[in-house]
Amino acid sequence: MSEATLPPLDTESPRLSVEKPGQRYDVQGDIPDPERIDIAMRSFVRDFGAVAATYMESCIHCGMCAEACHFYVQTGDPKYTPIWKIEPFKQAYKREVGPFAPFMRALNLKRKVTVEELEEWQELLYDSCTMCGRCTMICPMGIDIASLVGLARHGMHKAGLVPHELWAVAERAEREGSPLGATAQVFEDRVEWMGDEHDVDMHMNLDEAEVLVTMSSIEIQKYPESMAAVAKVLNHMGLSWTFRTDGYEATNFGLLSGNADWQKDMSMKLIEAAIACKAKILLLPECGHAYSAMRWAGANLYGKPLPFKVRHISEFLGEHVADGSIRVKKGLGTSVTFHDPCQIVRRGGAIEAPRIVLEALGAEIHEMEENRGMNWCCGGGGGVITIHRADALRYKAFQIKMQQVEKTGADMLVTSCSNCRQTFDDGQAHFHWDKTAHSLLEAVADNLIDEES
Amino acid sequence: MAEHDEYTIGQHLQSQGISRRAFLKFCTAMASALALPPSAALAMASELPGKRRPSVIYMSYQECTGCLESLTRSFSPTLENLMFNVMSLDYDDTLQAAAGFQAEQAREAAMKANWGKYLMIVDGAIPNANNGYCTAAGKSALDSIRETAKGAAAVVAVGTCAAFGGLPIANPNPTGATMVSDIVTDKPVINVPGCPPIPAVITGTLAHFLTFGKLPELDQLKRPIAFYGNTIHDRCYRRPFYDQGKFAKTFDDEGARNGWCLYELGCKGPTTYNACATVKWNGGTSFPIQSGHGCFGCSEPGFWDRGDLYKPLSAGLWHGNMAAELGTAAVAGIAIGGAAAMAARHRQDAHQKKETK
Amino acid sequence: MDLLTFARGPALQWSLIIFAVGMLWRLTGILLLRRKPDHSEPRHTGTWRGALKLIATRSVPKREFWATTAFGQIIGYVFHIGLVIVIFGFVPHILFIRSLTGLDWPGLPNSLIYLSGAITVAALIAVLIRRVSNPVLRMLSNFDDYFSWLVTTAPVVTGLLAVAHLGARYETLLAIHILSICLLLIWMPFGKLFHTVMIFVSRGTTGALFARKGAST
Repeated sequence: MSEATLPPLDTESPRLSVEKPGQRYDVQGDIPDPERIDIAMRSFVRDFGAVAATYMESCIHCGMCAEACHFYVQTGDPKYTPIWKIEPFKQAYKREVGPFAPFMRALNLKRKVTVEELEEWQELLYDSCTMCGRCTMICPMGIDIASLVGLARHGMHKAGLVPHELWAVAERAEREGSPLGATAQVFEDRVEWMGDEHDVDMHMNLDEAEVLVTMSSIEIQKYPESMAAVAKVLNHMGLSWTFRTDGYEATNFGLLSGNADWQKDMSMKLIEAAIACKAKILLLPECGHAYSAMRWAGANLYGKPLPFKVRHISEFLGEHVADGSIRVKKGLGTSVTFHDPCQIVRRGGAIEAPRIVLEALGAEIHEMEENRGMNWCCGGGGGVITIHRADALRYKAFQIKMQQVEKTGADMLVTSCSNCRQTFDDGQAHFHWDKTAHSLLEAVADNLIDEES
Repeated sequence: MAEHDEYTIGQHLQSQGISRRAFLKFCTAMASALALPPSAALAMASELPGKRRPSVIYMSYQECTGCLESLTRSFSPTLENLMFNVMSLDYDDTLQAAAGFQAEQAREAAMKANWGKYLMIVDGAIPNANNGYCTAAGKSALDSIRETAKGAAAVVAVGTCAAFGGLPIANPNPTGATMVSDIVTDKPVINVPGCPPIPAVITGTLAHFLTFGKLPELDQLKRPIAFYGNTIHDRCYRRPFYDQGKFAKTFDDEGARNGWCLYELGCKGPTTYNACATVKWNGGTSFPIQSGHGCFGCSEPGFWDRGDLYKPLSAGLWHGNMAAELGTAAVAGIAIGGAAAMAARHRQDAHQKKETK
Repeated sequence: MDLLTFARGPALQWSLIIFAVGMLWRLTGILLLRRKPDHSEPRHTGTWRGALKLIATRSVPKREFWATTAFGQIIGYVFHIGLVIVIFGFVPHILFIRSLTGLDWPGLPNSLIYLSGAITVAALIAVLIRRVSNPVLRMLSNFDDYFSWLVTTAPVVTGLLAVAHLGARYETLLAIHILSICLLLIWMPFGKLFHTVMIFVSRGTTGALFARKGAST
C-alpha cells in the first residue's frame, strides 16, 4: 500500500472504516521475509518484562479459555482458542527470553517462527480478538491473555503484518490526528455546529480550564450529539471546561494496531493539551480502548504520574450524580439493560458508575445474565470492526449479544462506548434487529434538571 | 565319627531312644514347615529311617557362631535335636571334640568316604582380599571352601554372612568378604539367610534335601520359597494397624504400648522375606516385632550398609549433608536463573539498539 | 547396590538436586526480568490483597462458565484432590517428606488412600482421553503435555501396583515407584508441571494488577 495516498473512508455505513478494499494489502512494506521475521521477534522480545514472561510460562494447555471467547463459542473452530492466538509468540518467547532460552536456541527445541506462520496468525491476532479479556476471567492460571495479544500486535506491526484497514486507519490517525477523517478543522466545525444545533455553550481552545474534554472520532463523525451532551452536563455543573484542537482525539489506533510509537504520539497529544490548559481532569469520551490507553497506559508513556486525573465519562457521571453536582430527573422511566464495555468495565474497573446513573435516571435495570466483568463483548472492539473480512465472524459473535439483550426483556439498551454503539448499529442493520444501543451520556444530558427553567 | 555311618537313620534313632511317634511328629512338622503336601510327611517317615545317615561337613569362616548357637541352643527336646540325629555331623570345628590334625583328618576322611554325596554347610563370609585371611591348618578360607566344596552334593549357606556377605561385606569390607554363591559356582547352593536364621528353617531345609535328595524350590536369591516366600510385613500380626494408619512414633509412646505398626520406627518388614512372623523364635514364642522392635531386614542382602535401621522405609537415603547440598543446589539455581534473566535483558537491549539504528 | 537402595539413595538424591536447581533457575529467570514501574493513578491500593484474593478465588468455578466447562473442571478437580490425598495423606509419603523437611502430620487410613489412588488414575485416564479427543486440547497439546501426563500418572500407577504386589516383588515395585517419582521431580522444573509454582505467581500477578485498576477478576 502506498503511504502517500490515504485510502478512502467509508463514513456512510453504520460503522466507520476505510472503504472495503478491492485489493487487500495485509502486508506492509518491502522487507525480505527473514528480516521481517527478525523485526517481528526483536520488537516482541524487546518489550518483554517479568509480567508477560510469567504469563507465557504459566499456560497448562487446559483449553478453557476457548469457552470464554465469543469467536470460539460461535464457530467451534479450535483455532479461535484465545491462548492459541499467541502461539508463535509463545514459541518466540521461549526461544529468545525464557529462562532456558540458550538451550532452546542451541538445541533448536523451539524453532524459529516463519513469516508464513505470522501471516496465518494475522487473522487470529486481529480479526478474531477484540482484546475484551473475557478469557482472562476463566483462565485457571490467571493469565491475562488479552495483554499478550496486545504485545504480539507490537511485533506484527513492526513486521508490517497488520490487516489492511487497521493499518490504514492507524496510519491516517498518525498523519492527520484522527483515524476517521476528524481532523482538527473538521472537529472544530462540528463542535460549532452542535453548539448551534442544540443551543449550548461550547468552549474551544481555552488557555485554562478545569476539565479537558476529549472525543472519539466515532462520536465526532457519527454521534456528534455526544459533544453537545457533554457540554450540557459540564455547563450544568458550572465547571470550566474546554475542547482543544491540539488534543481532542481520544481513540488510539496506535494501540489497536500495535504501533507503540504511534500510540505514544497519540497519547502525548492529549497529555500535552491537558497540561497546556492546566486541566485537573482529562475527561475521556464514551470509548473503550481510549480508557485503557489513557487511564492506565498514559502515565507510563509520559514516564511519570500525570499532573491531572483521567476519568471516563461514565465514571465522571456516576461520581457526580452520586454527589449531587449533576441533578437528573427520573426521565427514563422504562426497563433498561446496560451493555458493559469491556475496556471500561471488565478491564477498567468502572463497574458500578453506569448503574448508579441509570438508577438516578429512573431506569428499571434488567441485568443481562452475564453482566459486569462477565459480560460478552459486542465483537467489534480491538479494531475488529474496521476489518471488512472479519464481518462474517463478527456477526456470529454479535448474535450472542442479541440473544443476551433479548433475554433481559428490557425496552432500552444503553452503553457507554461509541465503538460498541457502532458495532450494535452495524449488527442491528445486518440482522434487521429492533434494538438500538443508546448513549449513557446522552441519556443524562436529556434528563438534566435545569434550575433556571 | 565315621564309623557311625554304618547305621541307618532308623537304627540310630532307636539307639538314641527316640520313639517312632516322636519321629513321625518331626516328619509332619518338617513337611508342614516346607509347605509340602501331607503325603510328603509319610514319604519322609518311610524314606528316612531306611537311609544311611548322611555325612555333613560344617565349615565356619568369617562368622560369629550365632548361626550355630541358633541351631543348637534351643529348648530340649526339640525338632532341631532330632535333626542332629538324622545326620552325621562329621566336621564342625566348633562342636567337635577333635582338634588340630585330628580334626582335619576327620574332615578329609569323611570327604573321601562320601565323595560326591556329603552335604556342606557354610557359615560365615569368605575373605577374598588377601589369600591368607582366616587361615586354619595352613589353609586359607578361600582354599578351604574350594577344596571342601569339590566333593559336596550341595552347599548350604547358613546365615546372612554366608548367603550374602552379611556384616563382613559391609563397608569398607577390609577383608574383601564375599558370599558362598560367588565362590561355589559348580554346585547347587541353598541360601538360608538370617542373622541368625530361624533354627526350624535350617533344619527344614536340610530335611528336605535329605528326604528327597534334591534342593527345595528356591527364589531368585536361592532361598527356599517355603520359608522366604512372604514378607514379614504381609504376615505380621501388626499389619491391620498399618492399614488403619496407626503407627508407633517412638519406642515408648502410646502407639508402641498399644502394639501399633513400627513402620515409622524403621521396620523393614515390607521388604524382608523371612518366616519370623509365622514360625517365630524360641519354639514359636515371639519374634522381634512382637517384642516391640522393628525388623532390621537381616535376611536381606546388604541390610547393614543402607544406613537406615531406624529410618522409615519410604524416607530417602541421603549420603552427605542434605541441607547443605540442597542449599547449594538452590543457590546455584538462583544464580543460573539470574544469569539467564540478565542475558535476556542484554538481548533486549541489543534489540532495542538495533531497532533505533 | 540393589535397585531399591539405588532408588532411595543416589537416584532420589540427584533428582532432588536437579529439582532444586531447576525450580529456582526457572523461577528466578522469570522474576528477574524487567519490571516497569506503573505511574498510573491506582483506583485501589492493596494490591497484595488482590493477589491473595485471586489466588484463592480463581479456584472456584464461575457460574457463567460452569455449563460449558463442567466436565473438564470436575475431572481436573478429582485428580488434583486425589493426588493431594494420596501424596499428603499416605503415611509412607508423609515420612518421606518428613525425612526431607522435618514436617509431620497425621496420615489417613490406607483404604482411603487406595480408593483415592484408583479414582485418581481413572480421572487421569479420562483427562488423557479428553486431551486427544477434544479438538481444542488436541491442537494445543505438545510433547510437554503428554510427557507431563505420563510422569504424573506413573507414580500413582506404580504406587498402586506396589501396595497390591502386582507384577513384581514388592521391593522391585517400590524401587520403580520411587524412580518414577525421581522422573517426576526431574521433569517438574522444565515442563508444564511447573504450574505448581506458577499458579501462585501468575494468579498473584493478575490479582495485583487488576486490583490496582479495580478491574474484574
